Amino acid sequence: MADRRRINGPGGSTLPPVYDETESDAASLRQRAPDAIRPLYLKTGVTPSASGSAYLEIEPREGKHGSGMKLACTVHGPRSLPRSAPFSPYMVLSTHVKFAPFATKQRRGYLRDSSEKDLSTLLETALRGAMIADRWPKSGVDVVVTIIEGESTRQDAVERRVEEWDAMNVLGGCITVASAAIADAGIDCVDTVSGGVAALVADKNGGELSMVLDPVALEHESVLAACCVAYLPNRDEVTNLWFKGQLPSTGTHNYQTLVAKAVQASRGVHGLISASLSEVIENSQG
Amino acid sequence: MATDSIPTLAIPGTVLGPTSKYAPGPGTHIYGGNVVSSLLGNVSVTAPAKAPGPAKRLNKITAPTAEELSTISVARRGRKREVLPDVGNIVLARVVRLMPKQAIVVIQQVGSTVLQTEWQGVIRVQDVRATEQDKVKIHESFKPGDIVRAQVISLGDQANYYLSTAANELGVIMATSDAGNDMVPISWKEFRDPETGVSEPRKVAKPS
Repeated sequence: MADRRRINGPGGSTLPPVYDETESDAASLRQRAPDAIRPLYLKTGVTPSASGSAYLEIEPREGKHGSGMKLACTVHGPRSLPRSAPFSPYMVLSTHVKFAPFATKQRRGYLRDSSEKDLSTLLETALRGAMIADRWPKSGVDVVVTIIEGESTRQDAVERRVEEWDAMNVLGGCITVASAAIADAGIDCVDTVSGGVAALVADKNGGELSMVLDPVALEHESVLAACCVAYLPNRDEVTNLWFKGQLPSTGTHNYQTLVAKAVQASRGVHGLISASLSEVIENSQG
Repeated sequence: MATDSIPTLAIPGTVLGPTSKYAPGPGTHIYGGNVVSSLLGNVSVTAPAKAPGPAKRLNKITAPTAEELSTISVARRGRKREVLPDVGNIVLARVVRLMPKQAIVVIQQVGSTVLQTEWQGVIRVQDVRATEQDKVKIHESFKPGDIVRAQVISLGDQANYYLSTAANELGVIMATSDAGNDMVPISWKEFRDPETGVSEPRKVAKPS
């Protein structure tokens, strides 16, 4: 009998796993057209115990892994406010965005850190503009978004410090998935809000600047500026705008164009949500 | 009626029709002269009611609605939607606690819809019955565990809806005695246990 008080190694000899190096090298260039967004998969009603729920998956590049995203959102309520809360004639919205500990290469803690709290605040602003809060007096709604798999799960994402740019894509995904979950919960909204991201990027050859929709930071040499909007397509209104980075003072790339590109991206996302939600209703009829 | 221009399915933000032709029903709102869906679900158009129902107690001032418009509403089939108690609704509530000046209840059903969440309500001593309000004693009107039919009179404060049982058809509809048996109403203020024969005072609802 082996010594039970120590952690003994395996009996036989083992080899450490060796991974193929060529794949991590393949932070390849963007294959999509500059105005194309990645394919999405959206499903509502994934959590039976919640009032409304949705699951969103953004497809990684073909044959590669590491730039897809998986998000799950649950909506609880409308339910009565806690006894300590002050009277509110409106619905009280609270949002929680949390990365799963295994969602990114850099392991996340179990408590929400400051970047997750920032995302929660931005998501709350984005949703609040779309909800008809005065139809639900004295009630509270909790929107919980869990990022099951974040973008850039690979090591080179950590090395190149692109996570700050990926936060934009995460927020865009959070807005989209939360909007679908709220629609599933049957909470009144003026419109189906959708998130879209656009960025001004420099490419590897010669550092030529271009604007792309739905950027993946790893696919470009560097990102100069990025913009994430929460957009109501039927009303042509923006409920939340997050702009980061520095635009060059010269040239044709200005702030308005970048915001317009982000709006264009969210229009594309909205088409996908509305198709998916309509499908849900059609299937439930049969 | 030109219903062919109306979509059968709606997601939040779908334009359903102009307000000149349609009135907004549940699950819709008005934006830019159009009735717009605010929910995910199936669209239904109901023709205007020919004969208006019995006049309700006037508890809020509303503009007279155009009777000839058909109403568009959006609802999800096969799914009960969460509802909130609103002023004027008849609710069923369970008494949880008695205090000298009020009874605390938990609202469990609004109209015919069973609620998913429990909302707390309060019946104050002056709202128990319409007459001789100064002689009402809470302990002779309710007991914890009773099921009460009541009307919502106010959204109340942060915690409680304010309810009233000041009508003949409102009050205790189900009660158990101290011995633990179901009781039957014998008058407007008494329930009797059929097994022990002991009667207990309650604010009894008129059987419907």
